[in-house]
Formats: sequence, C-alpha cells, structure tokens
Amino acid sequence: MEVSHSVKERTIAENSLVILLQGLHGHVTTVDLRDESTATGRLANVDAFMNMRLAEVTFTDRRGAVSQLDELFVTGRNVRYVHIPDEVDIRATIERQLQAIHRVRYFGARDKGRKEFPRAKHK
Amino acid sequence: GGAMSFLKRFPPPAEGVRHRQPDTEAVLAGRSLGSGTLYIAESRLSWLENSGVGFSLDYPTISLHAVSRDLSAYPWEHLYVMVNAKFEEEETKEAPVAEGEEEEDSDDDAEPIAEFRFVPSDKSALEAMFSAMCECQALHPDPDDEDSDNDYEGEEYDVEARELEQGDIPSFYTYEEGLLHLTAEGQATLERLEGMLAQSVSSQYNMAGVRTEDSIREFEDGMEVDIAPVVAGQFEDAEVDH
Repeated sequence: MEVSHSVKERTIAENSLVILLQGLHGHVTTVDLRDESTATGRLANVDAFMNMRLAEVTFTDRRGAVSQLDELFVTGRNVRYVHIPDEVDIRATIERQLQAIHRVRYFGARDKGRKEFPRAKHK
Repeated sequence: GGAMSFLKRFPPPAEGVRHRQPDTEAVLAGRSLGSGTLYIAESRLSWLENSGVGFSLDYPTISLHAVSRDLSAYPWEHLYVMVNAKFEEEETKEAPVAEGEEEEDSDDDAEPIAEFRFVPSDKSALEAMFSAMCECQALHPDPDDEDSDNDYEGEEYDVEARELEQGDIPSFYTYEEGLLHLTAEGQATLERLEGMLAQSVSSQYNMAGVRTEDSIREFEDGMEVDIAPVVAGQFEDAEVDH
C-alpha cells in the first residue's frame, strides 16, 4: 500500500493496471512467468515496471519441479500473468491506491500543491 | 575436465559495488565452476574465481533471482539466478543430481535459459545479496517494454515539472501561479469567494435578496462587491453565480 517516492513511478502506476498489483501487497498471489514457471507467494512489492518481489514462495519451474524459495524477485518483463486473489475487491483496491497517490501528490510534498482553503487576505 | 569456455580473465569491478561476497561457489546447470567472489555491482553481476577468471551477467538478461533455503531441492542454501541467455558448457554427462540441465530443451532457441546458483560459505549473507540484486535490477528497467503505452516522457505527463512549478504549458495552475495570472476582476472574485468560504461556517447569514450594510465589504482596492446572500446549507456545494 506504500506509494512510490518517485514522481515518475507514481504517474506510471496511476495510468496503468500496475496500480492494482500495488494494492495486492501482503496477499498470497500466483504469478505465471514468461518461461512457464509459476511462483506463489506473499507479494512484498511491485514497482511501476512490474518488477515483483515475493516472499515464502512455492516455485514450480517450467519442467514441473517444485521448490520453496524464501524470497523471489522477478523482472516485470518476465511476468506473464498475475492471478488476482479471489478475496480481493479489484475496484476498491484501485480506488484506494489512487487515493494514496493523490494524498502524496497534493499534501505530502513540502509546501507545494493547492491549498484547499486559502486564507482570507483581510481580517 | 576443462574450463568453461565463457570464462574470462578480467579485473574485479571497482565502481558501484553494492555487495561483495567472497568464498562463494558458482554453479551453472548443476556444474560447479569453483570458488570465488561474487560482485553485485550496479552495472553488472560478476563472479571471479580465486584464480582470476570468471564471468559477468548483465541485469537486463536476468529474469529472476531468489534465495533458496530448501535443502530438499538443492543441498546448500544459495542465491538462484535465472538468465535469459545461453552459456556454453563442456559436453560431459551430468550427474543425475544436477538440476536445470538445459541442453535438451527444444525451446532453447526461442528462449535460452541458464540457471546459476551462487553458494556463499556464509549463509547469513544471502539476505544482503538478494537485496543488493533487487536494487541493481531496479536500475535497469526494460528498454523495449512491449507495452509501449507507457509513453510518459511527453508533456502531458510531465507531472514532476508542474509540481516543481517549472512546467512549460501547464493545463492547471498551482495556487501561487494562478494568483499571478488574475485580472483585477478575477482578483475580486477570488476574494469574494474566499470571504464566502471563511464565512460559510459562521452564523451570519444574510437574508436572501436583502442587501444590508453587512453584506457590502470593502476590499483593499476600494472596490465594493456584494457578497451574495447565503441561505444556510442550501448552496454549500454550488459555484457562485454572479
């Protein structure tokens, strides 16, 4: 649920479905990789380039051999599918992530951004 | 046996080394390449055997890396690295225990895959090795991203420039910028609206349509402006029409 510190990454995220994946932090997720292996584990992080870090992973390689991996990092390029867990409300997740990004953008950065209620000049 | 033909002699990387792990065995497709030092540098991943020969891997070719502590899958805890590239090996029969043998893969031409394992003698270093690799991978985003809707370098998405108030042609103004662009009339409108906001929670509401002395406010530039009467609660959300 953490929002990236990078302006560019926030922009990419809010304009693509990566934002949905970023809302899955902490969920046990299955990822199908380009080489036809699959990894099921707790999603620790997804960045704007869809690089993903998973923990406590059950990894099935392309030949079907199963092993456990403590931590796995896969580059976005090699992700083919991400299975959204059944318990996840997709729309609510996206909305929550968008709100988090907007909070950071408009209120988080020093003094910048719009002031919601400008002070009256007199009195 | 002989040396793997892809091994070369080169100096260890000096710059941008995020992690250096000595006493690390490198294994390719189940065959040990010897013991040496793993250098996780920002530019590439390198391993140099103690004799001085080794190899490097470029991050864009690395599909994934992982920490494996599953001794039933491989007898030593290690850093597993899957690479999208072909590495020549000697053609010797592999022991049955070797995993990841890739010579027989029919789809090798389409998708070459090489599996490396880096086995440090110090197992407690695996976390740091993994993290260092994650950081370095993040420095090499995929240049030919198939999903090329990600054209976020254009003006339209130059959010950073706008946020820093340096944007060329902003489609909206920040508060400070906007003030600079107001005409006198605009200024007056703004002050009237500000006044309304300030007053909207106060208990002083004017009777609808009745212009009282209280409703005329004098502004710094002497312009008298009516504050449109507010009926409590009715038009809280509306824009003021004038």
